[in-house]
Amino acid sequence: MKRTSLWSDWLPPAITLIAGAVLWQYAGSRTSAAFLSTFTATMSRLWGMVASGELVDALAQSLLLFVTGFALAVAVAVPLGLLLARVTVLRIATESYIMMFNSMPMAALIPFILSIMGFGFAPKVVVVFLFSVFAVLYNTMEGARSVKPELLEVARSYRSSEWRLWRDVMLPFTLPFTLTGIRQGIGRGLVGMVAAEFFLSASGIGKLITVNERDFDTAGVLAAIIVITIFGTVLMSLGRAVENRFAAWRGLSR
Amino acid sequence: MSDAVALPAIRRRAWAIPGGNLGIKIAGGLVIAAVWQILVGIFAPPYVAKPIGIVMAIPSVLSSPQFLAAAWSTLWAVAQGLVVAVVIGTVVGLAMGRMRTVDRAFAVYVNGLNAMPMVAVLPLLTLWFGYTGDARMATIVFAAFFAIALNMADGARAVPPEYLEVARSYRANWLGIWFGITVPAALPYLLAGLRIAAGRALIGAIVAEFYISLDGLGFYILFNSRSFHHDEAFVAVLLLALFGLGIEAAMNWAMRRFLPWYRREGRN
Repeated sequence: MKRTSLWSDWLPPAITLIAGAVLWQYAGSRTSAAFLSTFTATMSRLWGMVASGELVDALAQSLLLFVTGFALAVAVAVPLGLLLARVTVLRIATESYIMMFNSMPMAALIPFILSIMGFGFAPKVVVVFLFSVFAVLYNTMEGARSVKPELLEVARSYRSSEWRLWRDVMLPFTLPFTLTGIRQGIGRGLVGMVAAEFFLSASGIGKLITVNERDFDTAGVLAAIIVITIFGTVLMSLGRAVENRFAAWRGLSR
Repeated sequence: MSDAVALPAIRRRAWAIPGGNLGIKIAGGLVIAAVWQILVGIFAPPYVAKPIGIVMAIPSVLSSPQFLAAAWSTLWAVAQGLVVAVVIGTVVGLAMGRMRTVDRAFAVYVNGLNAMPMVAVLPLLTLWFGYTGDARMATIVFAAFFAIALNMADGARAVPPEYLEVARSYRANWLGIWFGITVPAALPYLLAGLRIAAGRALIGAIVAEFYISLDGLGFYILFNSRSFHHDEAFVAVLLLALFGLGIEAAMNWAMRRFLPWYRREGRN
């Protein structure tokens, strides 16, 4: 990574952000407030949300929902993925279906969850779980498949114990892929979180957005969208940072 | 990456698509269906979808004009939206990948909006476009655009500099350099982006239909599950899963057929 100065790193985005705000202010002042509120109106609405504590409550609710569903997804998908990695018959039997679930739009299941589980916290957790679990599972499985058979054969020829086989061969090869899955799962889980907050019992940032939309409070909608963009960017950067930390291990397989 | 290493990896990937070990795969599917049938039969209310009920519902659902119209409406909107997103995304991605100023100007917006859960803008889009199909189309384009632009920019950045140097030595014009060299070289990245974009576009379309109550597969599922016709609704879910799987398979096929020299993961 080449070092660049603070100046060249931060100046261009700062200029475009300011330019964007000016453009937004101009466009907003030329149209009705219900269509596009101005930048300053949106910012003062955002400040109002912060000052009233509304925003902190919403963020806390959303974060709790996301973390619960996502933690469950990781807790289920990683052990299951490793099991499938080791038991070849199970993997062959299930991988086509896992691939199918991985590429299927999980949002389609929300109405079933609503009609079976109703409102409350649990069905929303199920939605976040379903959105993210297959990304982690699928990538973990792919990682396990990337382990070269020769390596396992050599390990076995040297009478490596099952434990050593896992510690020295399987896990180091699989971990980078699992982390890619975790990063993808974060992105999908966030979509699931917002969708659950829209369509199941309204809560958190999702509620903030829909309630303001019903009131034609465009400033409120835009303020909430800015917050969720920052929320998403922070979580995704976290996922990417962890992924990159172990990405070098993946190089071993090539 | 040497060819000797790359080849087995590609071949091994090939049997992930149904083909080899078909017997085990079918047996696996039957076991999953049986477990589902039994567990739901014992523990869940009777209206919850079960494999036998779903299979029985397939003929009547597939022959109902209402379902066919819904499927056409959703899938056609997704296809149109993807075309729009690919065209704009390719141009923006190329500009970001090849021109430093453009990259620096837009990176903060494109990266931020890519990380944001796209369904969050849906209410804003209904304020702008009304509760209509236009809002669904805007959601699809918005959901698909950023993955394509980002991947295209990565691809345009990764063009081997020797290609460009040779082109410049022969005095190629910028149009030739962009569309004759950069675009083909970045194609694997575009495909990887398109795969992610297609999945997001499907989700965007379905969620928009829930929100707007717009006719389509998403609303078909919502309507039927509300009136406790879960088996019928699940046939629509199966169609969506097939569509998602079809896109995945088409991308893998195109990658192997036309771009065997490159394999890379998408940026999500």
